[in-house]
Amino acid sequence: MRNTLLIAGNVIKDAARKKLFYVVFLFGLAVLGLSPLLPTFDLGVRAQFLRDISISLTSLFGVVMAVVLSVNLIPGEVDMRTIYNILSKPVSRAQYLVGKYLGILGTLAIILSVMALEILILVGARLSLFTPVVLEGVLAVFLEAAVIAAFSLGLSTFASAPINVFATALFYLLCHVKTGFLHQKLMEGAGGLARVFMWVLYYLLPNLEDFNVSQQVGYGSGVTLSYALRIAGYSILFSAMFVFIGYLVFKRRDL
Amino acid sequence: METPDDVVDLRDITKSYRVGFRHARREAVSGLSLSVGPGQIFGLLGPNGAGKTTTLKVMLGLAFPDAGEGTVLGRPLGDREAHMRLGFLPESPYFYGFLTAEKALQLYGRLFGLDAEVLSERSARLLDLVGIPRESHLTLDKYSKGMLQRIGIAQALINDPELVIMDEPSSGLDPLGQKEIRDVLLGLREDGKTILLSSHQLSEVESICDSVSIIDSGRVVIEGSLSELLTEPGTTRITLRGGGEAAGAALAPLATNVRRDEGEIIMDVAADDAYRALEKASELGLGLVSVEPARRSLEDLFLEAVRGDGP
Ligand SMILES: Nc1ncnc2c1ncn2[C@@H]1O[C@H](COP(=O)(O)OP(=O)(O)O)[C@@H](O)[C@H]1O
Ligand SMILES: [Mg+2]
Repeated sequence: MRNTLLIAGNVIKDAARKKLFYVVFLFGLAVLGLSPLLPTFDLGVRAQFLRDISISLTSLFGVVMAVVLSVNLIPGEVDMRTIYNILSKPVSRAQYLVGKYLGILGTLAIILSVMALEILILVGARLSLFTPVVLEGVLAVFLEAAVIAAFSLGLSTFASAPINVFATALFYLLCHVKTGFLHQKLMEGAGGLARVFMWVLYYLLPNLEDFNVSQQVGYGSGVTLSYALRIAGYSILFSAMFVFIGYLVFKRRDL
Repeated sequence: METPDDVVDLRDITKSYRVGFRHARREAVSGLSLSVGPGQIFGLLGPNGAGKTTTLKVMLGLAFPDAGEGTVLGRPLGDREAHMRLGFLPESPYFYGFLTAEKALQLYGRLFGLDAEVLSERSARLLDLVGIPRESHLTLDKYSKGMLQRIGIAQALINDPELVIMDEPSSGLDPLGQKEIRDVLLGLREDGKTILLSSHQLSEVESICDSVSIIDSGRVVIEGSLSELLTEPGTTRITLRGGGEAAGAALAPLATNVRRDEGEIIMDVAADDAYRALEKASELGLGLVSVEPARRSLEDLFLEAVRGDGP
């Protein structure tokens, strides 16, 4: 555990050195830039619009950061050979991989917390409104980013960064359209192999739309506790699965 | 050759890598066996691409052999218990660029569970040992290759290991640096550590190694204790002073090999002929510099082994 956390800590330090945390300024600018577009003077509508759009933006930033943080973490260490100094110490490959993943989660948590604060401040400043419901939205984004990061990190144990970015983008897309597009295709009854393929995809892929709560946050109702717990469990399940698959590959890999 | 207390023992290790897109594989190491006894400096020698690094990676569980098995410190390859008790210097080591030397050593030390006090004392001592200023604020991404090599050596010693495995320890170092590192290694042996180093720098190995294994194309071609490998049994080397071409020619029939070097005649004679050669030299009025068992240079041995044109 100690070694896992040490490795995680270094992921965060490395992110700091690469100035990845500056993304929160970019986010601030983006939210600020979009807020003057409010279409009406009705306070309720404005608040709804602002919350909805900030959470959507948070989701975009969170998912992109999850990929940015994950794709090159292991390939980079293999290329730079810094991995030898770690794995020749009493550090197992499982500890290494899980440490890296926890480090990514830590980095995401820091970034998303600051973003949440930015949203609270912005909404507060614009509309003199304190809307803690956005925290629920940011939490949902974190849970989704955790799945994306796990997918990307798992994949990075054998795929190069460019392929990984492409595959993760595809994964993200499929997981968001699965209840709509894929389901519809399945119902339409495409034949043979295509049907089997879609069936497998349908049941294997997580439904990432479940993490999209920007509307509920927009309305200000938020989500129920049981819903929150359900998506948390969902996130943990899929994240663990992807990291574990990555481990199965990484365990046997020559470095 | 293996004995129960061998610190490193590899049996018939074969390791191939895929080359190209097809299923073609090339063996980097082929049926290699190796045993390193305790308390010695063992040199794994071979030309570039011979399979030295691959062998060390297999030893450390960084790469997985296709066939063969082994133990390190009595444990299976890649075992964490064994890693607690060994240190490894990778070839051309590289470190997290955002750390200073001291921070890096502390990170590596913490991976062994060393507490802060031991660690700060030890990292200071190791930085002194390898000649890196202690309180440098320079981060490692600004270090030169030679400095990284020194940090690499320091980190390999952070856990006070019983076994130190070093891949090309003197690469990237200037002659003075190489000498310093040799002294570090000799000091470690003095402390009873076992050292396994790979090298293609023969002078380094010749001056410090107790045993060597010379490998070429992934196979062991020569192995054994260095002093045994380098002495030519039954041959005596006589070094004489004075004399010219004529003296050399007069001695030639008695010797297997005569050469002249800076006013000295160096001749190798069969041990049985040594007295006669000395009498002849005395008749010729030559001064006697030394009489010793004939030794090959490691370079000769290496070239013979690698080219396969041995005696
Ligand atoms: N990861 C790898 N993939 C493919 N071939 C490799 C790999 N690592 C080493 N080799 C090949 O294996 C052989 C031995 O390499 P190496 O062990 O690095 O030799 P040395 O350290 O003695 O110079 C070389 O021919 C090298 O090209
Ligand atoms: Mg090498």
